[in-house]
Amino acid sequence: MRYKSQTIAREYLVAALLLFLLQVVFGLLNITKYIWGYDPLLNIIPFNVSRAIHINLLVFWLLLALMGATYYMVADELKTEIYSAKLGRVQLGILLASGVAAIVGYLFQWNFGMPFLEQPTVVKLAIVVAALIFLANIGLTMFKNHHTLTRMTATLLGGMVMLAVMFLFGIPFMDNLSTQYYYWWWVIHLWVEGAWELIAASLVGWALIKVTGVSRQRIEGWVFAEVCLVLLTGVIGTGHHYYWIGTPRYWLWWGAIFSAAEPIPILMMLVDTVRHMLGARTLRTVNTLGLAWLGASAFVHFMGAGVWGFGQTLPQINRWTHGTQITASHGHFAFWGAYGMLAIALMYIILPELSGQSTEHGSKVGFTAFVSMNFSMIFMVMALLIAGIVQVYFQRVLGMEYLQTQGHMRLWYEVVLVAGSVFFVGTLLVLWDLLRLARTLPVGEPIPETEPEAIPGD
Amino acid sequence: MPRTHKILWIATLFSAFAFLGMTVDSLHRMSARTHADQLSAQVVEGKRLWQHYDCNDCHTILGIGAYYAPDVTKSFAQRGEPWLRKFLQNPAAMYPAGRQMPNYHLSGAQIDSLVAYLGWVSRIDTNGWPPAPEGMAPAQGAASAELAGSKVYLAQGCNACHSMQGSGGALAPDLTHVGSRRSKAWILQQLDDPRRNNVQSIMPSFGQLATGDKQQLADYLVSLK
Repeated sequence: MRYKSQTIAREYLVAALLLFLLQVVFGLLNITKYIWGYDPLLNIIPFNVSRAIHINLLVFWLLLALMGATYYMVADELKTEIYSAKLGRVQLGILLASGVAAIVGYLFQWNFGMPFLEQPTVVKLAIVVAALIFLANIGLTMFKNHHTLTRMTATLLGGMVMLAVMFLFGIPFMDNLSTQYYYWWWVIHLWVEGAWELIAASLVGWALIKVTGVSRQRIEGWVFAEVCLVLLTGVIGTGHHYYWIGTPRYWLWWGAIFSAAEPIPILMMLVDTVRHMLGARTLRTVNTLGLAWLGASAFVHFMGAGVWGFGQTLPQINRWTHGTQITASHGHFAFWGAYGMLAIALMYIILPELSGQSTEHGSKVGFTAFVSMNFSMIFMVMALLIAGIVQVYFQRVLGMEYLQTQGHMRLWYEVVLVAGSVFFVGTLLVLWDLLRLARTLPVGEPIPETEPEAIPGD
Repeated sequence: MPRTHKILWIATLFSAFAFLGMTVDSLHRMSARTHADQLSAQVVEGKRLWQHYDCNDCHTILGIGAYYAPDVTKSFAQRGEPWLRKFLQNPAAMYPAGRQMPNYHLSGAQIDSLVAYLGWVSRIDTNGWPPAPEGMAPAQGAASAELAGSKVYLAQGCNACHSMQGSGGALAPDLTHVGSRRSKAWILQQLDDPRRNNVQSIMPSFGQLATGDKQQLADYLVSLK
């Protein structure tokens, strides 16, 4: 760590980790409700509440992780303190208070009632305030250092602005359900296949420069091309959500063509990451676990978002799979690969730097977590996929009643429960490992700035 | 900025503008496709209730939401109004076994609004989604009244409790050969008031079903020898 204000990143990342654990706990609760029809918690935490909490925590912990990493990265890139560490802490406080208010509110039916955007309007407005503080804090840091602004940080800011703007479309209540969903996708789709991709691409770029020592110019060129292609395919690609919701028929064409191209930039990111990792003969920083998570994230991002997404994006297939557990399979795989694993990779890179601990040889606990979480996630994703195929065949093709079909899917829900339990253990391990790495060795004076030695072939 | 980057940048901007243009056009067409003129205060109140109770985090609607409970896009057309009303009053009465929906103790006016909302949703032009199940296609040679009866059987969710040829619920008697045990009159009476045939019966009354539906269902069940 070079700058004192970077320590706010640790607070964001640790908060994110704890919320992640809570998300997994609620996931386990959800799957038990799927398996056993009798639900003793029916009138306390019914499925809709535990599911709302599960998916809200998902968004919440990932946002905290991305924001924390952004604070760290911007200071690192621009070689400066963050404009105001205090504002960063106020922002975190508002976000955590909003999160607690939302989750407690759900238990008492205080709910906006749109998936992922269940937060009541007052809470959403508080989140907007926090987002504005964040943008102001990052924006002012960049403005004060505009002469050292890098393309990577500019892209990151662009992603954050897009994220904040898109959120606004999720706030109003609309009388017409189709219109409400039309704009709901502007938040959901244009976040995960737009704004978040921009943020992720720039953070991955930064991490690659940092960890592999590959030249900035090469990486920045790639990131720019990837970001353009993400938006080029992803924006009109929103159309694959406009097949069946009361929208005009032409979206069947536009959605299909553009979303079929969406895996291209993700494939580029994978090739790019692997190339840079293999090409870096001399690593600037030896961070085995950080690299493992980063590389695996690029791969699972491609599989989960690219391949699994492509698998059901064409209307001829989507007509049958839309609204089944196949979507849940894709959702878990894509979020985990594109953002969950990336967040953990960034934690493995940032937290030890903040505490000054060595990362050279990842701990056994860390490796066990890496293996157990990824394998169990694959089992979960596969089980949900098979459950979804059973559902499509029995319910959509044969016309069997919904609940009856669910009975035939039970075996696969049981597999999800077993895999999810392994994933839970992995989460505990990764939490333990990262909290250990985050433990401060006393923060002294800012370490004098020293550029790493030039690397041959750079 | 290299030339390829410039081209990419322009293409990206162009696609964003194209998307905005299509949005304007879509919103215009959607008001006819969704019958926006029929969005009465009651329908809107139904949507508000749907959101207030966070129904969408168990059910899908237009295929979006959680997968814990059935999609409701066409539930109005498939189940019919009486069924929906009865279910919303007391979900456990319709599905006494298995996965449950909490009883929200909705008032009569709230149920009216929710039913009006579901009626409006069922008329949205969804480009033919969800597809009609191929397994529901008419079997060759089946008498039309019996075929209609089998549709009533599925639509009313009888198989949630009863089973036929090994598939269905385990809470109520198997109906594979019900026609060899029961007469049409007995079945009609059972639909109206199950406790007249058996005081301990936990089956809910289906007395509110349309007479035609009841006749078709009874014809169908009697034909199962």
